[in-house]
Order: sequence, then C-alpha cells, then structure tokens
Amino acid sequence: MFIQPRILTIALCLAGALVVMPAAADDIFPHKVHQTTLDNGLKVVVVPYDSPGTVAYYVVVRTGSRDEVEPGHSGFAHFFEHMMFRGTERYSTNAYNDVIKKMGADTNAYTTDDRTVYHMVGPAAELEVMMDLESDRFINLDYNEEDFRREALAVLGEYNKNISNPFLPMYERMRELAFQKHTYSHTTMGFLADIKAMPDYYDYSLSFFDRFYRPENIVVLVVGDVEPEKAFGMAKNYYGGWEKGYQQPKIATEPPQTETKEAHIDWVAPIRPHIMAGYRVPAFSAATVDTATLDLISQLLFSESAPLYQKLVVDEQWMDYVSGSYSDHRDPYLFMIYGRIKSEDLVDDVQAAIGKAIADLQANPVDPEKLERIKSHLRYSFALSLDSPNAISGTVTNYLSLTGDPLTVNEVYAQYQKVTPADIQRIAKEVFKPTNYTVVTLSYAEPKEGEAEATAEGR
Amino acid sequence: MSRTNLVTVAILTLLAVGGVAIPAPAAGTIDTVTLPNPDSPIIAVRLLFKTGSIHDPEGKEGLAAITGLMVGEAGTQKRSYSELIDALYPMASSIEIETDREVTVISGEVHREKLAEYTVLLTEAVLEPAFSESDFSRNKEQALAYLTTTLRATNDELLGLEAIQQVIFDGHPYQHSPAGTVEALKSITLEDVKNFYRHHYTQANLMLGVAGGYPQGYVESLEKTLGSLPEGEPGELAELPEPATVEGRQFTLIDKETDSVGIHIGYALPINRSDPDYYPLMVANSYLGEHRTFHGRLMQQLRGHRGLNYGDYSYIEYWHLPPFTMNPTPNVPRRQQYFSVWVRPVVPATAHFALRDALFEVDRLATRGLTQEEFELARDFLVNYSKLWGQTLPNRLAWYMDSRYYGMPYYIDEIDKRLKKLTVDEVNAAVKKYIRTDDYHAVLVTNNAGEVKAYLEGDQPSPMKYNTPPDKPVLDADVTIQKIKVEPDTISIVPVAEMFQK
Repeated sequence: MFIQPRILTIALCLAGALVVMPAAADDIFPHKVHQTTLDNGLKVVVVPYDSPGTVAYYVVVRTGSRDEVEPGHSGFAHFFEHMMFRGTERYSTNAYNDVIKKMGADTNAYTTDDRTVYHMVGPAAELEVMMDLESDRFINLDYNEEDFRREALAVLGEYNKNISNPFLPMYERMRELAFQKHTYSHTTMGFLADIKAMPDYYDYSLSFFDRFYRPENIVVLVVGDVEPEKAFGMAKNYYGGWEKGYQQPKIATEPPQTETKEAHIDWVAPIRPHIMAGYRVPAFSAATVDTATLDLISQLLFSESAPLYQKLVVDEQWMDYVSGSYSDHRDPYLFMIYGRIKSEDLVDDVQAAIGKAIADLQANPVDPEKLERIKSHLRYSFALSLDSPNAISGTVTNYLSLTGDPLTVNEVYAQYQKVTPADIQRIAKEVFKPTNYTVVTLSYAEPKEGEAEATAEGR
Repeated sequence: MSRTNLVTVAILTLLAVGGVAIPAPAAGTIDTVTLPNPDSPIIAVRLLFKTGSIHDPEGKEGLAAITGLMVGEAGTQKRSYSELIDALYPMASSIEIETDREVTVISGEVHREKLAEYTVLLTEAVLEPAFSESDFSRNKEQALAYLTTTLRATNDELLGLEAIQQVIFDGHPYQHSPAGTVEALKSITLEDVKNFYRHHYTQANLMLGVAGGYPQGYVESLEKTLGSLPEGEPGELAELPEPATVEGRQFTLIDKETDSVGIHIGYALPINRSDPDYYPLMVANSYLGEHRTFHGRLMQQLRGHRGLNYGDYSYIEYWHLPPFTMNPTPNVPRRQQYFSVWVRPVVPATAHFALRDALFEVDRLATRGLTQEEFELARDFLVNYSKLWGQTLPNRLAWYMDSRYYGMPYYIDEIDKRLKKLTVDEVNAAVKKYIRTDDYHAVLVTNNAGEVKAYLEGDQPSPMKYNTPPDKPVLDADVTIQKIKVEPDTISIVPVAEMFQK
C-alpha cells in the first residue's frame, strides 16, 4: 500500500506501401495494426480501439541518452525533450499551450536510454489539430538562446527534485562502473556537471535537432477512436514535406566485463541500507529465446510468488522492498536488482540469499509446471494491461523504439511460449557470473566534523 | 440487495434539473454500484469500507492502515500469504489495499476467464483474514519504513506534501498520516487489529463496486458471500470537526540534510466537490496551477519564465501521490478539503524569491480574478480534460463510487454540466470568497532551517540573479515580487527526525 522507492528514469516497409496486419488467432496483441511509411521515411502506425471520442497520439523518436556520444553532452536527449515545448513561428509556447488547453488534452513527454516520446491524449475530433501542432514543432522548432538557457535551469530543477532519492546516486555509480565505452555509462538525466554546463551548448542543440529529429528516425502512433485511412491522409498532408536527413550516431561497443565491480556510498541522513546490483545482459532481440528467457528468470527470482522474494520480504523480512528485472534495451545493458534492507547487519545475508537462488537456477532445471505458471502470468498480465488508448500506446511504443515494428510484441510473447527449463539454466549460467557483476551499496554514515559539506557534494 | 445500474443513473442525471444524487441503499443491505460492460474481457471489483485513519484511536495512529494491510496483504484462515500470492500469480491479478483518511479500498482486476477463482481469493481475504504474527510484524515494518525512510530520508516531495496536511489539520482527525506515527505503530497489538476489523469491516460500512464483463448473477452471488460480514450499525458517516482556522502566516521549516528547498502553502477550504461553489473555484484553480500541465500561471511564471524549478501547481482538493500521477486518483474521498500550492524543489539561493513569486500569483488571482477569455479557456480545458480521468474501467467505477460517497451525481458528468453553465462573474465571486494570502500555513523542507528562519523574519528583498535574464515584463514584475512582505507570524523549526515520531 505504501509507495515504494522508485528507480529513476526514470522499419522495413516499402515507401508508400500500406500494410494492414490483422490480429492472428495466436497473436497476443488483440487489435488490428495499420501501418504505412511516407516517402520521407516517417512511419505512421494506427491502432483503432473502442474508446469513443478519445485518441492517444504518440510521437516516438528513436533517440535517447544512448545516442549522446559526444563527451560532455550527457543528458542532452532529455534536455532536448524540454526544448520541444519552446515553440515555433506559427505556434509560440503560449499559442501551443492555448490550443492544448482549448482541446483539453493530456500531454507530456519522456526520455529513456533508447527513445524520446511525446504523448497526448485528447478528443478524437481534434486529431487534425494534434497532427498540425505536432508536425509543426517537429519540422519548424524555433527557439532562441535565451529560451534555451532558461530551460536548462528547469532541467537542473528536475535533477534537484530527484536528488533526495538515494537510488539516483546509486544508479549513476552503477552505470559509471558497468560501462566504460558505451553511452549507457550515464543515466538519462545525465552527469550533474554536464547538466550544469548545458546553458552554454545552444549551437550543439541546433545540431542535435538537425541530426536526430528527422522523419526516418521517428514513428507517429495513433490509438483509439480513429479511421486509419483518414489518419494516413492527414499524416501525409502534415508530415509529407519534412525533409530526410537522419544521421545515425556511432555508438561505441562495450567490451565484455572481466571482473566484479563494487562501490559503496555513504549517505548523510539516517537511512536503511540500500543495494543495487547489475549483471551484464545481451541486447533485446525477439529472434531467439534468450532475452525472453531473461524475462522469465526475473519472474522466477523476483515476482511476489518467487521463493527468493518470499524469503527476503515475507518470511525472513530482511527487506521491505526488492525488485529485479531485465529491461528491453537496444544494446547490451544490465539485469538490475535493487532493494532496501532492514538493517546493516543483514546486508551480507541478503546478498548471500540472492546468490544462492541464482546458483540454484544454474544447477537445477526449473520445474516445467512453474514455467507454465509464469507464462500464464505474462499472458494475463498483458491482457489486463491493455485497458485504454494510453496503455496500448505505451506498450506499442516500447517495441517501436526497439525495432521500429509494433508487431514485435507478438514475436516476444511467442518466444515466451518456447522457453524450456534448459534455456533457463543456460542463460542463468551465461549471465549470472562474477565477471558480469557490478554492485553498489548505500548506507548511513554519520558525517565527521567538517566533512558534511564534502559528503553532500558527493551525491 | 440494493443496486443501481449507474449507466442508467448517469443518463437520468443529465436529464434532471440540478442533478440527483446517486441513490443510497435501503437499510440492512450492501450498497452496490455496478457498471456493466459485456464487451470487456476485464472485471474490476472494488470494496470501499468507510473506515480510514480518522477512526484510529488516540495513541494507535496507523491502526486502520495496518488493519487494511492485514486484510489485503496477509494470509487467510485457509492459506498463508505466500500461498495466497501463489494462487493469484498465474492469473496476474492482485488484491490491492489503500487506506486514506476516510476510507479503505480493497480492489483488483481480473480477466473474465479467471473471475470465479479470483473471487474466491478476494472474498477469503476480506472475510477470513488469518491475523498471523508473521504478517503483522511484516506489515508494521512496512509502515515504519515508509515513515522513517521513505518520508524522512528519501523523498522530500512526499515529506512536504504530507507535512502541509499535518499543519493545516492540526488537532483534527485528518492530522496524522494514514501510516500513523512511529511511536503509535510500536504500541499497536494484533488484538487491536482484530478489534478494529470486527468493528469496522461491516456490511453497513461497505460500498461494493463491480464493473466490466461479468456474467449474469455474479453481483448477486458476491453480495451474498459478503453478506457474512457483520451487519454493523447503519448510519451516517462519522462526524468531523471543523478544522482550526489559521490566523496570520504560520511557517513550519522541516530541517534536514538536503540540497534543495520544497515549498508548500495551504489552508483548509470549507467546500468539497459536492458544493456548487467547488466548480467555479475549480476553473480558477486550473487557471492558477493545473497539476502537471504547462499552462497554469504558476508553472508559466516560476518555471517557464524564470527557470526556478521543475513544476508549480495548485489544488482545491487532496491529490493522491502527486509526484507519481498525471490525473487525479479516485477513491480517496474526503469531506473536508484544503487549498494548496506546491512549488517543487528550488535551489536554496532562490527559495525566498520562489516563495514570494508563488504568493504573488495567488494574490494576483485573488485581487484580479480571471478575464472572460481566461475563464473560457480554463473552462473549456476542464470540460474536455476531465473526461480523460475515467479512461480505464477501474477508474470509472471508482469515480462512480466516490460520487455516491459524496452524495452527488456522477462527478465527471457534474463537471461537464456545471462548468458549461458558469459565468466569469461566478468564478471571480468564488475566488473572492475562497482565495487569499493573509492567513495560511507554509511548509518548507530545507537544509539550514535557522538561516531560512532568519531571512524570513528579516523580510528583506530577495532579488533574483539570472544567468540569462528573462524578458522585460518578467524583470519588471520581479521588482515588485522581490520586495513582497511575507510577514510571517510564527516560524517553527522541526528537525526531520521528529516528523511522524508521535
């Protein structure tokens, strides 16, 4: 019931060809998906759904903090998300806000490692207004250096609102340790020093827009009370004139990890000990069972019904919260485990219990009946989650970001069905080994006289 | 059994002049709200018990919430909590529990293929809780961890949002957090929980809600099963005293190690959404600071023009977990409400100015009201925007249940109906009546509270230093804002370790 600590966040179609994919009997995704690609490479996906009078309008930019390859510019994808609300010649920020206000739309945006998403839910009758507004700012964004500098302060404000959450410094340290070459070494928020330097990078921001905000790198998704043909026609009208020009960044490959990495953070205020651990895992793929297997492993270890979770939270009550999961990423990332421990003396016990559960998974084939229960859970969980245009858009967006194809979702759920006890053992052995492991712990350390300031800066 | 098909009621309310409240049930029956949607594969079930932290006995603050957890997150007489979770797992359903000031809501959603199995588990949890020692210690630990770690140490925003309620409702049953206090939690026994359950989990206290694609006869059967709860005393909701009137400007500084300053301003409001005045005030509030939008005055002025922080909003009723929600959450009804302004964390150097700027905007609204154009824009926004609040089946059901709790027609329809009839004069009259900057509580979550106290008392100008100056009209306004006399009447400093202690 009590809110738990949160971790921070945080196209192959032929040009002009229209593809309608009916929902096949064994596909998990129950709705028809209509898609087309304009001549300039912009993909448009439409999913009609029974939500009388309401549509969700999502613009998915396949650029996130992963694309921040230039040193000193971490956090820029997220910063740019802010800049997209700074207006155009036709619609100043105020004019844009007034139109949104008039139509009563719920609108915002978010950025992750792999994507930047602009979303809006509003009256279906206003779809054309949404297209007009959104295409205008993507094609004609126009802001001056003063606006840019001011917005950089709001980003710093966003960092400040998160800073009392101990998971933020832990998450930063974890990434810095686990990645040396790849851009996953920084969080989506970015390094604090880079955030502070943002106001001076106006010219860089223009180049960022020019290179990444291009039609070939973007998908427009409409879900809800919408006729696909009408939406395609509008898209062509509003987005058709947008020029190509996407420049794919060269993202460094992270070499394999060769040893365990560890760090500890002293926290200046009294707090329960926290732990965050990560194992290097392969990039998302629906082509094999491997990453699907990791999703099942996260259920086997950390779902509420998992013996490990039961031991840590329900029976021994060593932790009031623990979670562990594989999260879909375009490049090799981390199977992340994090939680909060009741007291300092239990930190080793917690780590040993997690280690033992993993060793069991590696040594003994999992009961096939257990796997069937997990597969059932995933199927029902998916069905229950699709309860609004917004929720459907959220799911589809994940796959648009990963592969550009909304129907990847069906392939993923087909892979879940194929996972065997032998797959679980194989992947557990490949992934959960000491040379793949990074761990960060955090606990209260009373500041020594004269050191308080230094410690505060340390986080 | 008394039940009302609310789709029909909603249509009727649109036709009725002035609207009719959703009818209450006859005595001795379960009050049930249904929202059938045969095409939906999902069924939502919600049990709203009219029992919350206002019913916590003195010295046992947190008892209602712990009792809720012992029903919703604990074993039953037939299976342990682990076995219950195991049984729920393959259907991907859960039993959710939330205790607020006035109500405790147990809820869940299930796919229709699993409805029968789920219903057995849900009713078992509600009717036959085990009250085991092991579940008790775990749930108490959860509440303690929430108070001592989540609120005190890891989320300054939630800390400030809870603290402003505590000062506004000082001495009132709303004062303490539903999670209780550290000392009271330690004194709560399993026997207290059993007694609380016996007295409060009754048919008379229950409002049942069912929505979605449930089969014929399902609701009757569920009502029959829940009929084994004690009947309880039918009657009105527990009476609430009026909150104390705040006189002057009462500041509370929560002193803790933190790099930023969170600012909260507020005072009790004598109206809730069942009052006609609520609707004109809702329009004015939306103009001032609609939650998580970019078009409120506060947001535009503090963040948009001055880059002071991440967000700035205002409210005329309790908003559940605002850092994590975009739209209002249903099923946290409160008959007494409060006006509040939330200035998200700012850097310490700008805190004094940010406080003044927020006060300036509230005062500007209070003295000048809205123009015809501003009124129309805010009204039109709310008429459409509010329709998005019931997008999901469980939310729609919950809004219907809330409307019955308040004794009013369906809230979302009521917004549409009442706002469309409003005039700018009515909005400005409501502003005059309810919005002010003379008498209020303020909470600042800050480091170095002593220094903050000193500059608040000194009340000297707090000019802004911009790296990038805003436009001239903004700079011109700053000349006034930086000199605003805050004139605090009292400033108390509370070390964070004392928060939620007793």
